[in-house]
Amino acid sequence: MKLFVSGRSAWVSIAITLAGALLFALLPAFLSPYGVRVGQLFVLAAGLAVAWTVLGGFSGYWSFGNAAFVGTGAFVAALIELALPGWSPAGAFTVALLAAMLLNGLLALVIAWPILRLRGIYFAIAMLGVSQVCYELVSNIDALRGALGVNLIDIVPKDVRPERFYYWALLLAATAIILIAICVRHSKLGYGLLAIREDEDTARMLGVPTAPYKISAFVISAMLTAMMGVIYAHNLGYITANSVFRNEFNLNVIVYSLLGGMGTIIGPIVGAGVMTYVTQVLLGDLLDIHMFITGLLLAILVLAAPNGLYGIYDTYRLRLKRQKREAGR
Amino acid sequence: MTMQTLVDGLVLGGLFSLSAVGFSLLFGVLGVVNLSHGAFVLIGGYAAYTLHEKLGLDPLLALPVIMLGMFCLGYAFQRSVIQWATKRASLLASMLLTYGFALMIRNALVLIYSPDFKSVTPAYAFDSLSFGEVTVGLTRVAALLVSIVLLAALAATLRYSSIGRTIRATAQQEQAAALCGVNIRHVFALTSGLSAAFAGAAGVAIGLVMPFSPPDETLWTVNAFVVVTLGGIGSPAGALVGGLILGVVNTMTAQLIGAAFPNAMMFLLLVLMLVVRPAGLLGNSFKGSR
Repeated sequence: MKLFVSGRSAWVSIAITLAGALLFALLPAFLSPYGVRVGQLFVLAAGLAVAWTVLGGFSGYWSFGNAAFVGTGAFVAALIELALPGWSPAGAFTVALLAAMLLNGLLALVIAWPILRLRGIYFAIAMLGVSQVCYELVSNIDALRGALGVNLIDIVPKDVRPERFYYWALLLAATAIILIAICVRHSKLGYGLLAIREDEDTARMLGVPTAPYKISAFVISAMLTAMMGVIYAHNLGYITANSVFRNEFNLNVIVYSLLGGMGTIIGPIVGAGVMTYVTQVLLGDLLDIHMFITGLLLAILVLAAPNGLYGIYDTYRLRLKRQKREAGR
Repeated sequence: MTMQTLVDGLVLGGLFSLSAVGFSLLFGVLGVVNLSHGAFVLIGGYAAYTLHEKLGLDPLLALPVIMLGMFCLGYAFQRSVIQWATKRASLLASMLLTYGFALMIRNALVLIYSPDFKSVTPAYAFDSLSFGEVTVGLTRVAALLVSIVLLAALAATLRYSSIGRTIRATAQQEQAAALCGVNIRHVFALTSGLSAAFAGAAGVAIGLVMPFSPPDETLWTVNAFVVVTLGGIGSPAGALVGGLILGVVNTMTAQLIGAAFPNAMMFLLLVLMLVVRPAGLLGNSFKGSR
């Protein structure tokens, strides 16, 4: 149980996160508007990936349908704002954000009861189904305006450039998500989730309340994902079902974790950074074969580094430790 | 009216069954969820399209050729890539790997054939048969027949031939089968080859009945998922039952509730089925479903 002992204490992680967030908050001063755009994509990806990790990484229940929460969050917020025409932008946004998170938490709670009884691939398939059902319902029921599209209110203050404002907003949300993930990871809940990942039956036998733990993690993950979805929707300004229930949201979050390191918090952040850089900056011009190269990268990744970049680092660190021990003898 | 809807549903269901049976076999025997299955289906469709346009070959005559080609492709795919992934990483990682391949195939198809819809139209494409008030296009009859004949052939192969026996033995107990002298790697690759061959055949049948374009691969993969979950993993009969139910539900929903709802209904059915009976209607408790 190496993870329990050698993990840095929660406070160090929190301090590093805050320092990192502060550094990233200063970045727009040195970047072109295009650079800030890429920064937005990275922060969004990192936030979504860490939110996914709370359930998928810690407990091993890989959800293939987190787009359900991105999209539902975005549409709940949009429709609530439509229903509050006289309100100030900040007030309407706050209400919409809170309502979207709450409703997604409830949605997760309701579907958790049947779906979290499934394990492994079956849970993954069921979540894929849930995200498809949400997409189909939102795009086919006229009152939800998924096919027609909805405009969201403009919440950017007058004297701030919009791309910078949304960069900071997404960064703030992502930082909150990372802090919450750290707290979960170092709490009793977090240890329980790791135990579930290692062996659910044994964990249950030893007195870990598996069902409440899994449901809590699922609800937290859904609410955090919805928060990201609401801000992303405002960044887009106008959303349709197609633009928020995207398959990329379902699968990329898993790719980031796999690339960086499954079950860690730093892993998905690093993975999101690398993937965003490669797809947006290095391959930004090759739109024709974009998908091909993403697929190729994915295949190479799984074949060459099945435990991700963190896995490579971990092997290296262990080897170094062993060498030190042998030298000391 | 209802009769016509039912018949249309059965034709569609036959296609669903045929396109899912390979997926089901691979999942049942290897435990691998092949997300590039839908892409394999499309490769079959585009192969039929090319052979018909360039050589004037009838799709039904091209079927054996395409199945053979796809068999080789599937065999090579398993021996080279998937085997490597399942040995080094997890089964879930193999899911990601096949997703990567699906993206690559889709992109390649767009580059070669353009993103437009294509369809295979042999000379008899516009003839139809009538039984009382029910009218069925000749190509639809052909597609349904192809589905049923091929599914029956696969079921018979698995049940009675020695290859079928070794495949079933491997699915039940890998180690025990290996101890009895079964070459596991070869059997896995054979299964993968069969799976790809049936995907290719499904592509040909689909090409006869409806137009297709590269992004459809997601649709066919997801359909295979739903069919397999409904019918049960690893059995051709399960795929047939699941596919037919899905096809009828699909056309009935479109007819009775609204043209926009078949997919939502399909996934609702999927989630319900997973909750009530994850092993499917005729499920074997094979590897993937345990």
